Amino acid sequence: MTMKLTRSGFALPGTTLSYRTGTWRTQRPQHLHSAAPCHAACPAGEDPQAYIALLDEGKPRQAWEKLVSANPMPAITGRVCPHPCEGGCNRGEYDSPLAIHSIERYLGDLALEKNWSYPVAVQTSGAARVAVIGAGPSGLSAAYHLTRMGLKATVFDRVTEIGGTLFSIPDYRLPRDVVRSELGRILATGIEFQPNHQLGRDIYLADLQQDFAAVYLAPGVMQSQDWSIDGVTPRDLHQGLQLLKQWGDVNSLPEMKSAAVIGGGNTAIDIARVLQYNGVKTHIVIHSSMPDPNNPLEDDMRAIPREIDQALEEGVQIHTHHGIKRLILRGEKVTGIEIVRMRKLRNEKGRLHRVAFEGTESILHVDQVIPAIGQVIDPTGMEKLLRNTSYFKIDAYGRVEGHNDIFAGGDAVEGNGGTVTEAVGNGRIAAEAIAATIRHQSLPSLDRGAAVTFDKLNMAYFEHGERAEQPILPVGQRTCEAEIEGDLTASQIAAEAHRCFACGNCMSCDNCWTLCPDSSVLKTQEIASDGSHYVFDYDYCKGCGLCANECPCGYIVMVDEL
Amino acid sequence: MSTQEISLEKLRVRQPRFEGIESGHRACLGCGEALAARLVTEAAGPDVMIANATGCLEIFTTPWPESAWRLPWMHSLFENTGAIAAGMESALKAQGKPTKVLAFGGDGGTFDIGFQALSGMLERGHNVLYVCFDNEAYMNTGIQRSSSTPHAAMTTTSPPGSERMGKRHLKKDILSIVASHHIPYAATSSVAYPSDIRKKVRRAIAIEGPTFMQIHCPCPLGWGHEGAHSIEVARLAVQTGLFPVIELERRELIGSMPIREPRPVTEYLAMQQRFRHLFAKNDSRAVEELAHIQALADHNIKHFNLRGEGADALDSEGADTVRRGGMRRS
Repeated sequence: MTMKLTRSGFALPGTTLSYRTGTWRTQRPQHLHSAAPCHAACPAGEDPQAYIALLDEGKPRQAWEKLVSANPMPAITGRVCPHPCEGGCNRGEYDSPLAIHSIERYLGDLALEKNWSYPVAVQTSGAARVAVIGAGPSGLSAAYHLTRMGLKATVFDRVTEIGGTLFSIPDYRLPRDVVRSELGRILATGIEFQPNHQLGRDIYLADLQQDFAAVYLAPGVMQSQDWSIDGVTPRDLHQGLQLLKQWGDVNSLPEMKSAAVIGGGNTAIDIARVLQYNGVKTHIVIHSSMPDPNNPLEDDMRAIPREIDQALEEGVQIHTHHGIKRLILRGEKVTGIEIVRMRKLRNEKGRLHRVAFEGTESILHVDQVIPAIGQVIDPTGMEKLLRNTSYFKIDAYGRVEGHNDIFAGGDAVEGNGGTVTEAVGNGRIAAEAIAATIRHQSLPSLDRGAAVTFDKLNMAYFEHGERAEQPILPVGQRTCEAEIEGDLTASQIAAEAHRCFACGNCMSCDNCWTLCPDSSVLKTQEIASDGSHYVFDYDYCKGCGLCANECPCGYIVMVDEL
Repeated sequence: MSTQEISLEKLRVRQPRFEGIESGHRACLGCGEALAARLVTEAAGPDVMIANATGCLEIFTTPWPESAWRLPWMHSLFENTGAIAAGMESALKAQGKPTKVLAFGGDGGTFDIGFQALSGMLERGHNVLYVCFDNEAYMNTGIQRSSSTPHAAMTTTSPPGSERMGKRHLKKDILSIVASHHIPYAATSSVAYPSDIRKKVRRAIAIEGPTFMQIHCPCPLGWGHEGAHSIEVARLAVQTGLFPVIELERRELIGSMPIREPRPVTEYLAMQQRFRHLFAKNDSRAVEELAHIQALADHNIKHFNLRGEGADALDSEGADTVRRGGMRRS
C-alpha cells in the first residue's frame, strides 16, 4: 500500500477492515432454530410453523408434504383434533392464536382435491415386512410411516373396511367420505391390507412374530365396559359407542323420548348430540366439571371443549359433578334416574375417590340410560402381552414392556387421551423405532427441545390481526349429516398463514442485516448452512446483541464466548 | 441441492446494498450513530461527498491510517462543517459535476459549535444535505451537556444533586430554527425506523438546495443502556412523543409519523441511566420532573398533531413491522 502524506493525512477507503473488532466480543450471536410451541404441543409431531411458512411462501404442495411427513391424515385431524397446537401458539398472548386446525384441514382437503401423491420411498422387493394389527388411525399411521421409510407394511383388521374407530365419529364432525378418501389414498402408497383377520381367531401373534420383522399392535378399545347400578341393568341397555356405530351404519336409533347419557368423553357428547338431533331430550350426567384451565386436570370432562359448547347450544343438558345413585324402573324399563351431586376428592393416601353428598338427590325423568363411560381393549389373542391388565404398557418408542419386536399404540395403550392425533403420533414414533431397530441404527431422538416462549419474540415488528374463525352452522340448521364446522376460504387461509410469528425460525425479515451497526451480518442469496439467509461475520461482530434483541422470531441468541 | 463454500470476504463485497461505512470501525457496542450514518450513506448512494465535523463519527471511522469510509470524505473542524460543505459544493458546481455533498455532524457540532457555519450555508442556499446525528450530548469528549441534551438528563456537566435534577434547560428546537432559513426541506427521523431514514434521505437528496435532517440515535455509553437496546430506546422516544418524527417544507409541517398508542414517558426514561435520578424514592422533585417530561411529550403530540387515527401502516408501530412475503425457511 502506498501512502502519500500531505499536510493532512489521507487513508484508502474501507481500510478499517484490517482491524478485527471481533476481538472485543464477550458474547456472540448465534442462529438457533428451536421448536415453535405449536410443534412442541402436537401429539402427532407436526411442525405447523414449518408448513405454515411454506404455505405463506405460496408453496401449498410443499407445505402439505411437510405436514404429511408427520401426519398422513390432515383432512381428518384438521376436523377432529382438539388442537393443542393452538393452545400453545404464542400469538395467543398477543391477540389470538392462529387457526392452525383450519390450515391443516385446508391442506388436507387440497391434497384430496388435487390428488397429490404422498412422498414415500420407492419400495424394494427385499424390504423388511412389518405386521400392523388394526386399520384405525394409529395402525395406518404406522403403516404409512413404515412405507415412507421403505419398509413393507401389512395391516390386518377384523372388519372389511379400514378406518377403525374413526367411523364412530358422527358425520357432522367428520364426514365418512373424507375418511374413506384420505385413508384410501394412504393405503394406496403401497400398504397391504388384510381384511377380516381377527387376532386370536384368524391370525396369531406368535406366527406374526415368525413371519414379520416386527409387529405393531393398534387394536383400539372395542369392548364396552360392563355397566350397572348396584348390579341392576335395564333390559334394553344400549352402550353409547354401539348406538353411534348403529346410527352411522344404518341410520336408526331405538325408540325413546328422553335419555340420560352417562360419561363426559367425546363419545358421550357425540351420542348426546345425535339423540338431540333426533328429537330426544338428552341429559349428560358426569361426575367431573366443565373443562376449565383453572381446574385440576382430573376434574375436567375429557371431551373437546368446543364440542361441549356446541352440545350445550343445541339444548343438551349437562349435569356436571353428578352421578347416578339409583335407577327408577318399571318392570325392567327405565322411567327415571336418581342423581346426586358428587365430586372426586383425594383421600389421605392421595388417591382420588368419588364422594356423593347426601341431601342433594334429584330425579331425572328419562326413558333410556346410555352409558358412555369408555371402552376397553378386547384382549383376544394378546392375553400374554396384557397380563390381565386392560392396557398396553409401552416405553417412549412404543415398545411393549419386555419386547423388542412388539410395539403398540393408539387407544389401547396406557395413558392415552383417546385422540386421533395421539394415535397418529404413536404410529409414527413406533414406525421410526421399528425402522431403526431393523436397520440396526440408533433410535431417533424424541427431544424436540425447549419451545420458544413469548418473551423471546419482539412484538414491535408484528401488526395485530384478527383470527379467521371458521363458519359454524346455526343451531337451527344442524342435522346429523351436514358438517357443522366449515372451511376457511383460500384468502382467509393465506391471511392466517401470514399471522404466524415464525417462532424460533428465520423469516428473512432483514432486521439483523439492516440494524447491525458494525455491518457484521452478511446476507446470502443462497441458503446458508444453518438454513437462513444470513451469516455472522465474527471477525467484526462486537457482540452488542442488537440483532438478537430486534429479531422478531427469537431465532438469534447470544452465547458467552469461551 | 448443490452446496458451495463462500468466503466472508467475497460475501461482503456481494452485499445487495451500498455500504458507505465498512466494518472495523471503532464505534462502541450497539452505537446508534454508526448505524444511522451507514443507513444514510446506503440511501444516498455512491455519488456523494461528505464533510464530517469532529465528533464520535469522525473519530471512530478514521483511526489513521485506516478509514471505514467508502466515499470521498473529509474531516472538517468542529465549528466549520457547514462552511466546508458549502466550499465542496461550490467547487463541484464549478467543475460541472453532479455529485451531491453531504455534511455530517453530531448535535454538539450542529446545535452549538458549528451552528453559525450551518446557518450561513443554509442562508446562502448551497445544494447540501446536512445530517445531524443527534445523540443529545458531547459523547466523544466525555458526555457533556449540549443544547440538544433533553431536560432533566444527567451528563457530566449537568449532574443531578441537591441543586438540580440533571439539565435545567430544554432541548433546543433546532428543526424550527433551521427551517426558518426558508429552506425547502427539513425533517427528523430516528434510527429505530430505517425505512423512514432511507425515504427521507432520498427525498432530501433529490431536492436542489439546502436540506436538513436530524436523526435521533441513542448512545449506549452516554445514555446508560445496553447496546442491545439501542433500537428499543430510540423506538420508545418516538412512541412516547418525546422525539417527534416530522417533515417541514418551507417551515410548514407537511408530514409526521403518527403515534398509534402513545406510551408513557417513564417506559422510555426507565431504560436509561441518565434519567435514573428521576426514579429516586421519596423525592418530590423527581415526581415533578417526570410529570414535566410527560407534559413535554403531550405537548409535542398536540403541537405536531402526532396522535394517529387508528392503525396506520406507516405509524410509529407500523412503520417497520415485518412485511412478510420474504422467505421463511422451514
